[in-house]
Amino acid sequence: MTAIETHGLTKRYGHDVYAVDDLSLTVEEGEVFGFLGPNGSGKSTTIDILLDYVRPTAGEASVLGYDAQADAAAIHQRVGILPDGYHLYDRLSGREHVEYAIRLKDTDDDPEALLERVGLTPEAAERPAGTYSKGMSQRLALGMALVGDPELLILDEPSSGLDPDGIRDIRELTLEHAADGGTVFFSSHILSQVEAVCDRVGILNQGRLVAVDSIDGLRDAVGTGTTITVTVDAPPTDLALDDVDGVTGVTVDGSQITVTCTDPTAKLVVLDRIRATDSRILDFDTQRSSLEELFSAYTHPTAAESVTEDRR
Amino acid sequence: MSWAVIASKEFADAVRSRLLWGVVAFVTVMVSVTFLVPLVVPALDTGVLAALGGASEFASLLVPVVSLVAAYLAIAGERESGSLRLLLGLEPSRWAVVLGKFLGRSAVVVVGLAVGFVLAGVVAWVVYGSVPLAAFAGVVALTAALGVAFVGIAIGISAATATRARAMTIGIGVYLALSLLWDLVPQGAYLAAFGTPPGGTVPSWFVFLQGASPAGAYSALVMDVIHAVEPAYPAATAGIDGPVPFFVEWWSFAAILVLWTVVPVAVGGYVFGRADLN
Repeated sequence: MTAIETHGLTKRYGHDVYAVDDLSLTVEEGEVFGFLGPNGSGKSTTIDILLDYVRPTAGEASVLGYDAQADAAAIHQRVGILPDGYHLYDRLSGREHVEYAIRLKDTDDDPEALLERVGLTPEAAERPAGTYSKGMSQRLALGMALVGDPELLILDEPSSGLDPDGIRDIRELTLEHAADGGTVFFSSHILSQVEAVCDRVGILNQGRLVAVDSIDGLRDAVGTGTTITVTVDAPPTDLALDDVDGVTGVTVDGSQITVTCTDPTAKLVVLDRIRATDSRILDFDTQRSSLEELFSAYTHPTAAESVTEDRR
Repeated sequence: MSWAVIASKEFADAVRSRLLWGVVAFVTVMVSVTFLVPLVVPALDTGVLAALGGASEFASLLVPVVSLVAAYLAIAGERESGSLRLLLGLEPSRWAVVLGKFLGRSAVVVVGLAVGFVLAGVVAWVVYGSVPLAAFAGVVALTAALGVAFVGIAIGISAATATRARAMTIGIGVYLALSLLWDLVPQGAYLAAFGTPPGGTVPSWFVFLQGASPAGAYSALVMDVIHAVEPAYPAATAGIDGPVPFFVEWWSFAAILVLWTVVPVAVGGYVFGRADLN
């Protein structure tokens, strides 16, 4: 069975602002799925539609086989939700929040066990949530999401505002949930945070899904391969690299030339071309592309090329 | 049964935030003072029934304020702050949220008004030596009903608006229209129909228009209740010359009060149910 499925999902505001544009996505049960994209790319709107906070303009969305709009009650009984942009009840203690969630979901969870699981001490749990730091709030909200032992966790930017300890704890909870056979769907705008836990990632840009694959698969598909950085004595005036097979991006910044190569043999060709110019090579370095570059290759596919254009 | 869980939390919140005690203190002081007004103004009838009638007239202006203040942020406030996103994550039914909020805040207002009136009743008993229990109980029940009607109006506004500021603006506007300006409707209609301001006797439609607002229906019902206890006290239809038609009977005004409670909640709930919450 699929945990989350959308077909042609679209949310339009006004006449021509597309928050989500024709999104078709399938997340299988038991998967840890990272939903990536820069701020404003439509991640939260997509999640809001899955949770029935926002109604789609077109297309459909289902969660655990239930229609996101028609069967919201059945979905919410089986799903744990950490929404984006939430606010706790300032006067209620952490413990009272969890108890409220237990009563609303009509389950028999033990509040103490849940609070301990998300790392809130008994003393902290007795304090009003209005005194909580962002990290504690996030832990408490996650504890509320875990009420009712949900099959699917939907976490919108779970690590925002958390310190490294908190991020690690979220990662462990995610992996625990997955190890028990549960599904996790979470969004992030930081690729490195999803790399360690996700089976697959989907990258969203300007409301459109631009890629869905495993991290390794994405790396192969985008072909960012390696980056070669060459330091020269003076900026070359007659450098042409665009016609070299396997070169995907060229940036010239003063005396530094950065070239992204998908084909390993392209590196030598690049060096030869630079030597053929009036510049002298002082040094060069090669490195495997970072995940961040991979991410920006998807979300800003024209950035590297436009820099080259400007320098010509 | 999520609505019951939400309602009980709303009530507990009102106790915790001292909103309930604020309502009790406010109602006790204001109603006690109005009970005493007939004593210090020599021209007025000094009977305890007149004092009760006076207190209810004052209550018709005061109770809407209490209810609107107690409930206008119930949903719009949570929507603006973002706690609604947590709540709907646990209970996605927007109707359950509206119903729970309405019942919880209604309980706050009813308890606050009842306790406040009883405390003020003790003051009246000390001053006047006696209190007509049946009439007093009737007036308290009607005042509570008026309170619930305005909670319904406030919840309707709160459900239909996205921000605190808009909920407050509309709440103030509705209060001005329903409680302060409504009287101009029958007066203006009379002037248009007869060319003079209303005199000793009035047509039945004039009495109906007066009682068509929540506070107007409440005032008519209070007069009917006190009249039932003490026939010398004028009924709502006392000014009507000739036969009394059905639409100015007490149950007509009761129906008006119920409609003013239910319709705003239903309209607000409908708008809220279709809204995008982001």
